[in-house]
Amino acid sequence: MMAVSLLRGFFRKEFMQAVRDSHMKFILFLSPVIQLFLFGVAISTDVKNVRLWVKTYSQDYVLQHVYDRSTNSNNWFVPATTTKNRDIEPFELLSGGKIDVAVVPPPGGLTQAIGRGNADLQLLIDATNVIQAQSVELYLKNIITSVSGQDLKITPPENPIALTIRVLFNPTLQTTYFMIPGVMCMLMCVVSVILTNISITREKERGTFEMLISAPVSATTVILGKTVPYVIIAMCDVPLIFLAAVILFGIPVQGSLLILFVASLAFVCSCVAIGTLISTFAKNQQQAMLGGVLFLFPAVMFSGLMFPLENMPLVMKWIAYLDPLSHFLSLLRNIMLKGGENNFIVLHVGVLILMAIFFVYVSFKRFKTTLE
Amino acid sequence: MIFIWDRAKAIAQKEIYHILRDPFTLILSIGLPIFMVLVFGFAIEFNVKNIRLAVFDADKTQFSRRLIDTFSRSDYFVVDQVNSPEMAQQTLMSERNRAALIISSGFQKELLAGRTTAVQLLLDGSDNSTVAPILSYLTTIQKMVAKRLVDFDPPQNVNFKTRFLFNAELNSRWFVIPGLFVVIMTILSLLLTALTVAQEWENGSMELLLSTPAQPLEIIVGKLVPYALLGLGSVIFVYIVSRLVFDIPFRGNLSVFGVGCILFLIAYLAQGLLISILTRSQHVAMQFAIITGLLPSQLLSGFIFPIESMPTFFHYFTMIMPARWFMVIARGSYLKGSTFVDLWLPLLILAISCCLLLFFATKKFKKDLEI
Repeated sequence: MMAVSLLRGFFRKEFMQAVRDSHMKFILFLSPVIQLFLFGVAISTDVKNVRLWVKTYSQDYVLQHVYDRSTNSNNWFVPATTTKNRDIEPFELLSGGKIDVAVVPPPGGLTQAIGRGNADLQLLIDATNVIQAQSVELYLKNIITSVSGQDLKITPPENPIALTIRVLFNPTLQTTYFMIPGVMCMLMCVVSVILTNISITREKERGTFEMLISAPVSATTVILGKTVPYVIIAMCDVPLIFLAAVILFGIPVQGSLLILFVASLAFVCSCVAIGTLISTFAKNQQQAMLGGVLFLFPAVMFSGLMFPLENMPLVMKWIAYLDPLSHFLSLLRNIMLKGGENNFIVLHVGVLILMAIFFVYVSFKRFKTTLE
Repeated sequence: MIFIWDRAKAIAQKEIYHILRDPFTLILSIGLPIFMVLVFGFAIEFNVKNIRLAVFDADKTQFSRRLIDTFSRSDYFVVDQVNSPEMAQQTLMSERNRAALIISSGFQKELLAGRTTAVQLLLDGSDNSTVAPILSYLTTIQKMVAKRLVDFDPPQNVNFKTRFLFNAELNSRWFVIPGLFVVIMTILSLLLTALTVAQEWENGSMELLLSTPAQPLEIIVGKLVPYALLGLGSVIFVYIVSRLVFDIPFRGNLSVFGVGCILFLIAYLAQGLLISILTRSQHVAMQFAIITGLLPSQLLSGFIFPIESMPTFFHYFTMIMPARWFMVIARGSYLKGSTFVDLWLPLLILAISCCLLLFFATKKFKKDLEI
């Protein structure tokens, strides 16, 4: 009973401190939503607005159709804002950064060349962005084959092996479905790690932590009193971020909210534990923040948000397994998009809880040695 | 007001001791660049390979086995045999596999009878980044299989001769490592400056410094020079590693690139200074530095996510970010061999944002002193 009222006291103090500061209020409640919106809208690896340039000859209606179709049909390609002068050297346009793709038919145009039977078509693609280059090539090949077939009434024989392709869980391939869970877990991690870490270090720096220790409460109570409030504060952010994701981006939540809540709780606990651990090493706020960045940076990189983990070498994969973000991100994607698969959820939530326990234990040990 | 170098030097010296004394700053400023270059250099591979493919074969004939064999012999797929179509779908749910291939019985019979036969493929759409490459591999494999099984090889109207310029082998490292300059310099210049100057304000030692004969400009220069040096050091380090370890070509003009680096560095040092003056608290300065510098430099600069793919608003919004322009300079200089003429616009914008940020920072700094 005693411990509960003590904890309540701790919680009230931390919460008041957090909302008293207008900057903190902003950082805690407004900034995650704004960032979710900004990054959610902005980031994707979709191919869009690639500047297409085609060397045209006056009689070359096939290539003209290709050009019109690809710049009108969707937003993959846009016309290059450069002269249509065909004497211009496409390579120069590419290296000058004026266009991204150039299509160069043999002299006389593609239509004639197909008629002659030796239509060598050059595709020059700026491959600075490797992710984009391959998709652009595939798309151009498909559209050119289909347009030239239609225009010249050549029906290619049908491949006897037809592929019926079904994309599950995200049939329209919305990039936001894939990206938003990543941004969500990044924001939750930033808030909980930095918040805990800074607040504890601030107390240490100001000497109020020593005062707490001299008060007649056990070390365990101090640790719990300093960590549980941050878990609760960070958990206040969770519904906010989820609501924003669902309302702003229409991300489906296929799985149960309860499971989602449990997974988030496990993740927030592990983040708060890591924040606490960093604060045991830091002597002042500056060190605490640098420590936070030192953790967050690799953690975000190995989370699977920026690049797929599956292609990494084995050693790197093991590092990713140690990253709570990678577990939570796969949990979020699994629960939100697929409805959640029991074994998978139990495994990863278990790992997160183990991490939380481990980090709390280590920071407890470290606190105790400093206290004694 | 005369600028005296010795005073600035003394402050710079103090700052250097500060950095050397503090293990966290030291790790961050030296360890993080090394870590990032190694991770990005060795770990990142955008070309998706070894996609785990659940296979359910109801036909169990020579043809269906050869179909599966084509999948597993391509570098792209790793085959995982399952016992039922439901199980195939289940393995997608549990993240064991990314795609599933379901061959219905009668596959060989239909093909031998000269009819078109459908093979079902289920793709996991929750991982968007792998779907596009899988789709492109499938077209290739479809053609290969048709040729192997029923000798189906129609003539093409158009022979495509594709040339991938600037990165002929589509090497992911060539794409990522030049972009690393932006991310690393952001951490070292913007983050560290914002923090250390805010610390001086918070401790009240800035007031103390100001009451000494040192001029405000000398203080600013003294505080910023060590971080500028750290930033330049990291540039040289990344350059050497990129050339020697990863063999990335540098086709542009080194001096143009150098000018770009310095402009970018000054812009972010000034931004860090401005943040620290505006917030005067390490805690808040840090958050602002992360929100206005670190996250945008990774997510909105075109480092991984292309700016062209963003909605129109962001095409203009990202223009105010120095990181976006320096990204163009770094990639252009490395891969495209861009010259000064190609890069005049990014360089000009960097120079302008440099001047603006410096102007605001010094103005704010002076104004604060007078109150």
